[in-house]
Amino acid sequence: MAVNSAPGTSGYAFGERAPSRVITPESVEQLAAALRDCDTKGEAVVFFGGGTLQGLGHAPARYDVAVNLRALNHVLEYEFRDLTISVEAGMTVEQLNATLAERGQFVPLDAPQTARSTVGGVLAGGWCGPRRAAYGRPRDALIGTTVVLADGTIAKAGGMVVKNVTGYDMSKLYCGSLGTLGAIVRANFKTLPVPQTRRIAIARLPERTHRRAAEHIASLDVEPAAALVVQGFADDIDGHDGIDGRIFLLFEGSQTLVDRSTRELRSALGAAGVPETTLFDAGAGMAFARLLDAYLVRLGDRSVTYRILGLPSELLTRWETVSRLAREHGLNLETLQDIRTGDLIARVSATLSGHVTERIPGFDVALHSALPRIAVLTAPESLRGSLAMWGALPPSLQTMRALKARFDPKGTLAPGRYVGGI
Amino acid sequence: MESATRERFAERLIDAIGADAVLTAPEDLAVYSFDAYSEERLPSAAVLPKDARDVSAIVRIANECGEPIVPRGAGTGLCGGAAPVRGGVVVSFARMNRILSLDAANRRARVQPGLINLDLSKAALPHGLFFGPDPSSQKISTLGGNTGTNAGGPHALSYGSMTNHVLGLEYVDGSGEILHTALDDFGYDLTGSLVGSEGTLGIITAIDLRLMRLPPAIRVFLAAFADVETASAAVSAIVAAGIVPTALEIMDKLIVQAVEAHYHAGFPLDAGAVLLVEIAGQPDDMQAGERAIGEIARAHGALSWRSATDADERDALWAARKGAAGALGRIAPNYYIQDATVPRTRLPQAVHRIDEIARAYKLLVGNVFHAGDGNLHPLLIFDRRERRQVEAVIAAGTEILTACIALGGTISGEHGIGYEKRETLPLVFSSDDLATMGRVRDVFDPKRLFNPDKIFPSGAVCGEVRAQPQPAAGAGAWL
Repeated sequence: MAVNSAPGTSGYAFGERAPSRVITPESVEQLAAALRDCDTKGEAVVFFGGGTLQGLGHAPARYDVAVNLRALNHVLEYEFRDLTISVEAGMTVEQLNATLAERGQFVPLDAPQTARSTVGGVLAGGWCGPRRAAYGRPRDALIGTTVVLADGTIAKAGGMVVKNVTGYDMSKLYCGSLGTLGAIVRANFKTLPVPQTRRIAIARLPERTHRRAAEHIASLDVEPAAALVVQGFADDIDGHDGIDGRIFLLFEGSQTLVDRSTRELRSALGAAGVPETTLFDAGAGMAFARLLDAYLVRLGDRSVTYRILGLPSELLTRWETVSRLAREHGLNLETLQDIRTGDLIARVSATLSGHVTERIPGFDVALHSALPRIAVLTAPESLRGSLAMWGALPPSLQTMRALKARFDPKGTLAPGRYVGGI
Repeated sequence: MESATRERFAERLIDAIGADAVLTAPEDLAVYSFDAYSEERLPSAAVLPKDARDVSAIVRIANECGEPIVPRGAGTGLCGGAAPVRGGVVVSFARMNRILSLDAANRRARVQPGLINLDLSKAALPHGLFFGPDPSSQKISTLGGNTGTNAGGPHALSYGSMTNHVLGLEYVDGSGEILHTALDDFGYDLTGSLVGSEGTLGIITAIDLRLMRLPPAIRVFLAAFADVETASAAVSAIVAAGIVPTALEIMDKLIVQAVEAHYHAGFPLDAGAVLLVEIAGQPDDMQAGERAIGEIARAHGALSWRSATDADERDALWAARKGAAGALGRIAPNYYIQDATVPRTRLPQAVHRIDEIARAYKLLVGNVFHAGDGNLHPLLIFDRRERRQVEAVIAAGTEILTACIALGGTISGEHGIGYEKRETLPLVFSSDDLATMGRVRDVFDPKRLFNPDKIFPSGAVCGEVRAQPQPAAGAGAWL
């Protein structure tokens, strides 16, 4: 097991807060021994995959050891005839996708920056992307896990079967726990066959057509796997903006179905007054990947990106609220409105760097008083302490605190990183 | 409990939620003493709350009196999950059976736990929506019970189980507090932790559920095979080809004959096994779907292949399939249903092993199962008046579970562990795995008052004396 002391720790810092060492376990047993050791000594630990989602949450309240999990990156079982796979969770999403693609399969993780992001990181971060309306969330594809707890306990849950009610569904608890309950070291998924055809449709969106276009898309006979209204993100996402942005749609399915759906789409958008729709099949996968990457793209140290959750029917109202607040605070706003899931991704930025610290915290306060269920996806390290990273506290926070205390009584794992300072 | 204490307990319940909502007479309690698994014992009281506040009061009183709390839906569970094996108070949701809201635009509904599964789909139908999980008991089982056991059903193959459809919960915790969880809340996924916890973590008082758009096209096909093993091999091959229909169900000859005698749905009577295939989606895809699946079936020895001609025939086939266990009452005095899951490539081996085990114990076995999920439901036929047969059934059941585990499977796909299988849980999980689950229990239910003696093994090292499980009687069993 590699152990690095400073200066090898620079990529693991949260602002000023850097670990005194980075360890890279090469086996689950090594990890268990290391965690037990840290737990005994009272050293605080933060787990790292590719680091793509470390923008989530508060900086750790205490921080001694970074645990790099990327050496645990092997395929353990790939029963492609069963449509199941078991991998070590330090594997990159790109590596998982490539393994599955060889057999014409996929797991709908919708992770950004797949060359860096790891399976465990995506799960622990509770990531979910735009195709969850069509295929479910990563938690829904997850059929089993092995975790290592703070005291070194190695515990498994679920299995390698697609239907399972044997004991508690612990995997759900570890998903989205941001490494505060344990380290996910093994993940078993059910896989899906890759759709025969994948097509992207992009259309410029004049302002007057905005609402009607969204309604027409919601009532399409064949639903797109993902449907977003994009405003801004000019360098990150394909297509050219109209006055009020553009629509980005992903269709997946059989050739005949995708052909029909795009015919219907063109006539629906035409009826809504949207001038022209561009379609492309070649490069559709790349274009979708760029869209996902955009969720985490920062504009230097001048932007904060929020994920604002809510019902699809209230998406436009929510967007109007965010737009008004950004305007009032003199901030630039770029958004992704996910029509199918209701997610609103909002990136606010300041043109002058001085305005970042002046204006964004005020915007953050106003945003949280206007809307519930907001999380920061990325922010400059300098702002992390002055943003309400997780928004309103969830109603069952006391139960969550009790779970944290029962799983990690000494507060060894990512202390303070999560909701309510868990 | 002493009778004086029991009276005091009942009085407090009556004070809190009203005399008409509390049952204490033995003749009234008898129906709450068992579920579709077995008769166990009378509770001290059965209560019929009308809302979450009633449930909260019940939990507080039970907590103060140290009385176990056992939630109960329709009592269709097959593993003793709703049986008050340590007495206490049974909480029936018969009066909490309403749809609280149905939000068609956002495709979600909020329901009370006593709502019958099928009633939600009926209410959603005018909006072009339906609820995905459809356990065969869906005409009578409740969504609260379905949530507690993470129920599946034939369409779980494509739509998933309850856990993939529950968006949030209202529940009462061990202290009697009414709490809320939602998938869209940040923080730990308490929703996912409560689903499938079989009433051991809290009492669910409202459920937010995802609705889905009705598929515009549905086709049902029937293929006949020489035996269950060949049919299973065809299912393995369909899945291996990357085809995921909405349902892939197998029934063997014994079941088909019982079902046909009752339903006259048109299943072939001479086949060793019948494969029921459903595909759903857009009409554009139906023809290609039928061709692909039909070719694989024929290549794997299908003796015949035919398509249900219209919706009536399709509904008749499904009604017969979902009524299979009930129809078995015609030929079997009693039967014991197992619920194991294996990786789908192992299906032929698993059914072969089940057949061997049944032969070794000289038991007649019927097979009707969710083949596409690898979810087996062997029905061991016996006469409960014959002590030897009862013993043979229990031994064979355990052997089947062990065989499925050896094939990489597990001991419950959709029925849960309940009381029946709790002693077999250590066959699947290590003591560390189980202790980790126990940490969750410690948080939600430190006094172990919520549905005690369920899911987890008794913890006695050996030689614990307890009543032999009594396998289910014929009628009222579902799978």
